[in-house]
Amino acid sequence: MALNAACRSSVLKWISSPKLNWKAGAPLASTVGKQSERGYAVDPTKTLEKTSLLHAEEKEVVVTVKEIEDLSPTTGVPEEHVKTRLVKIYSPSKNPMQSGTHNTGHWQMEFDTRERWENPLMGWCSTGDPLSNMSLKFADKEDAIFFCEKNGWRWYIEAPKTKAPKVKSYAHNFAWNKRTRTSTK
Amino acid sequence: MGSRQAAVKAGWKQAKPLISVSDRDCRTRALQLYKAWYRAFPEILRIQDLPVNLKQCREKLREEFHKNKNVTDLRVKDLLIVKGQQELQEFSKFWSQKSHMMMRFKETHNPQPQDFLSKFFSGHK
Amino acid sequence: MLRLPFSRGLPCVRVVWSAAVRGTASNPAPEKIEVFVDDKSVLVDPGTTVLQAAAMVGVEIPRFCYHERLSVAGNCRMCLVEVEKSPKPVAACAMPVMKGWRIKTNSEMTRRAREGVMEFLLVNHPLDCPICDQGGECDLQDQSMAFGSDRSRFTDIHHSGKRAVEDKDIGPLVKTIMTRCIHCTRCIRFASEVAGVDDLGTTGRGSDMQVGTYIEKMFLSELSGNIIDLCPVGALTSKPYSFTARPWETRKTESIDVLDAVGSNIIVSTRTGEVLRILPRLNEDINEEWLADKARFAYDGLKRQRLMTPMMRNKDGELVVVDWEDALIATASALSHAQPDEIAGIAGGLVDAEALVALKDLLNRLGSENLVTETIFPMEGSGTDFRTNYLANSTIAGIEEADLVLLVGTNPRFEAPLYNSRIRKSYLHNEQNVALLGPKINLTYDYEHLGDSASDLKKLVDGSHPFSAKLKAAKRPLIVLGSQQLARSDGAAILSHVQQLAKKLSSSAEPDWKILNVLHSNASQVAALDLGYKAGTAEIRQKPLKVVYLLGADEGTISPNDLASGGVVIYQGHHGDVGASMADIVLPGAAYTEKQGTYVNTEGRAQQTLVAVTPPGLAREDWKIIRALSELAGYKLPYDTLFEIRDRLDDIAPHLTRHGEVEEASFLDQSVELSKNIASSFDSSPIDVKQKHLEDFFMTDAISRASPTMAKCVQAVLKQKQSKYYEGEV
Repeated sequence: MALNAACRSSVLKWISSPKLNWKAGAPLASTVGKQSERGYAVDPTKTLEKTSLLHAEEKEVVVTVKEIEDLSPTTGVPEEHVKTRLVKIYSPSKNPMQSGTHNTGHWQMEFDTRERWENPLMGWCSTGDPLSNMSLKFADKEDAIFFCEKNGWRWYIEAPKTKAPKVKSYAHNFAWNKRTRTSTK
Repeated sequence: MGSRQAAVKAGWKQAKPLISVSDRDCRTRALQLYKAWYRAFPEILRIQDLPVNLKQCREKLREEFHKNKNVTDLRVKDLLIVKGQQELQEFSKFWSQKSHMMMRFKETHNPQPQDFLSKFFSGHK
Repeated sequence: MLRLPFSRGLPCVRVVWSAAVRGTASNPAPEKIEVFVDDKSVLVDPGTTVLQAAAMVGVEIPRFCYHERLSVAGNCRMCLVEVEKSPKPVAACAMPVMKGWRIKTNSEMTRRAREGVMEFLLVNHPLDCPICDQGGECDLQDQSMAFGSDRSRFTDIHHSGKRAVEDKDIGPLVKTIMTRCIHCTRCIRFASEVAGVDDLGTTGRGSDMQVGTYIEKMFLSELSGNIIDLCPVGALTSKPYSFTARPWETRKTESIDVLDAVGSNIIVSTRTGEVLRILPRLNEDINEEWLADKARFAYDGLKRQRLMTPMMRNKDGELVVVDWEDALIATASALSHAQPDEIAGIAGGLVDAEALVALKDLLNRLGSENLVTETIFPMEGSGTDFRTNYLANSTIAGIEEADLVLLVGTNPRFEAPLYNSRIRKSYLHNEQNVALLGPKINLTYDYEHLGDSASDLKKLVDGSHPFSAKLKAAKRPLIVLGSQQLARSDGAAILSHVQQLAKKLSSSAEPDWKILNVLHSNASQVAALDLGYKAGTAEIRQKPLKVVYLLGADEGTISPNDLASGGVVIYQGHHGDVGASMADIVLPGAAYTEKQGTYVNTEGRAQQTLVAVTPPGLAREDWKIIRALSELAGYKLPYDTLFEIRDRLDDIAPHLTRHGEVEEASFLDQSVELSKNIASSFDSSPIDVKQKHLEDFFMTDAISRASPTMAKCVQAVLKQKQSKYYEGEV
């Protein structure tokens, strides 16, 4: 929804800009083809006069739209990268090298890996894939799913792996009749 | 892709309109935008030195509009119209330049292989 | 270091807790007690430690020595926290909570305790973080930033300096820089508790304390790499990965290991299209947090001996590089010039389900039904018709619930190290008993040896064996049959007897408890059998074969001599191994880090690998090669994308696309019924396993055979055996 809201506000700003001759509340009129004094076509933006339903007193107007609107024609993402990409939505696992669990617990989306190579000049990592580094974080998976659906990407969920609770007792080290008695120190 | 099934139900919701309140309304705007572009091309060609003629421009215009013929969402259509209007303004005011127009004609564009075999032979895709 | 005796006040809790361990149904659930962590109330079971109680409300207490899967040591003191009305801070990892305790994890006393501990640790810790491999993923680094003092009182540097400890050589996998050691003893506890190799320990005391093997010897275990993960500092780091990359430079791809049939979850770290290391990923159902050394270190085999371009044998008998069009056209024409029954497909041990289904679809379209796997499974009786027959039905996590395990002709320690570590875990914590029918081997735990005669199975079935009484008394017995035994000439008899035994025991066992388990030795067998491949090449070798399509088949179960004259061997796979060397046409495929493929592990759990890097050179994903070939052969397969081939998998066997879930099977009764008529004569030869010693563990498939690290491991084990300190089988 953030994207929608952003678009919306920019549209609103643009619509309300006086330069564009939006006539709020005016009937749909096509004032076209007027020749200017200098003999060539008019400023084309003049032809865009129309009703703005976002006029102050009409703000309560609503329309019925699909729950998930397909934004992919407006995002500028090339069609190839909408239709052929697969998104993985997952909750990253903890780094096995450390005890801490920071940077886990959220949901993340990542695209399938395309070819990467070492830049022969600098040794940096190169790729021809514009979505290679697009890894977004979400608070929950529904948000991630919604985002993918809105953008037309296929996705799948990788279920997070949880830890099972364990029984810990210092006394087990010294139990005389259990195999947990420790030998080495 | 087992987890995908039925996770998302395509329902409907009430939303604030961007501009249009109905498909008809939106269609009028789209046609209006098309006409505006159509009529603006002679002027764009006059002020910019483009290696294309009016006919090619208008064919391209038609093509660009047809690209979005399958768009059904009202607000998405509105957004596309707004973007089209912005672009029209950019071209008619000469804010956009020659290359921006010529980008649409894809003269230097290498078409990617589309069928499975040619994709397979051409590389990792 | 800071080793304070504090265990005195505990015994009252122990009794309650051990009952909870066994989880006996007769005991009512103990009443929960309420404690407060930073004034947040939490209800916990009695016996829960302070640290666990804090974790339940999301408070993470810093720790070095404490690890969830190891015993509590309580020696690093980093987890000290204040408890209200207690004069001294308590060690959260070892102290069970008492009713009404108010634990303060962020109080002045707690912070000062942590700061003090950190200061002591850092007094003797070198400041070599910039050249330390643990840099960026170091617990000491992070915790000294978070909890340490902001200034140093260490001024002794000109007099005696910091403590320095000699590095130990404990093998080709683990690099030691012992000066960095903070004596948390995690590696020691891992070695003695999980790996079952009591080689590591401490010597000396005070500031002379050292962690090591005392006498110079290597830490030889099939799980040794895990102590690298466990080490909270940079004292134990990975030798093959040393000075390769920093953690923030690498991309992590969560994938699946395919070098054994367990299907361990892994994280593949990559940079610039190169696999740099492989780490385990948490999955309680499979590998917990551990990873076998082969899975962890064989990745350098992915860069050697690779097939990079298609190749064809020229008239001089040499393989020459060709392009994809030529190779595929030649393959297609070979396929179309042979009669349907003269074509055979043989699948190896590292193949994904997508490639398997594509090859099956192609050959079926050509009219051939000769699709087999390399690994043998008896096709008599119900054969592979019931999944019950070839799965580890009790699942891997289910081992922990068993009270008696009977291993038949398997050495899980080397065939599936994490399967074995589960048995060891249950042996230690759940008082599980183990018996083995097979050669005497070291399984890292005590077991009852039942001899190695296959005919003893008959005695076990009719109840005349001395061990039968124990089996009958067991409430949750478990039989693990090694897949190698099925390749014997009496494999069918062994399988049917094991099935009958399982059936018989099910009457005395708990209802719905599954007894029969087949432990496979490779990752693709279950998926292949699920998709309808037959097992074993014996049958197709009898046929007049003209074209043999080896899909990653590298075990040499078929040779060019088995083909009619003018026959063509096509090899598709990723390594130049046995299969490629005898092939006429070589089609380079992708290894498991390079494709998104489905694998089914020995318990019947479908999981998928993900693309971490793209296949090298002209190599392609395996199912795509077959799909392209099918088009050139004139039998175009109806899938162009991964989604479409997954839909196809879904049509044949829906569980193959339900990744992460076990698809259970329970047709034991029916398969026993069908296997009744199998001849039950046993060979006189004793039951044997291929992998008896540690040196047999490392190089078992095309990837690990190409790995220099694995070769070094074998050498190291053999060298250790020459050592005068060598005490026998490890």
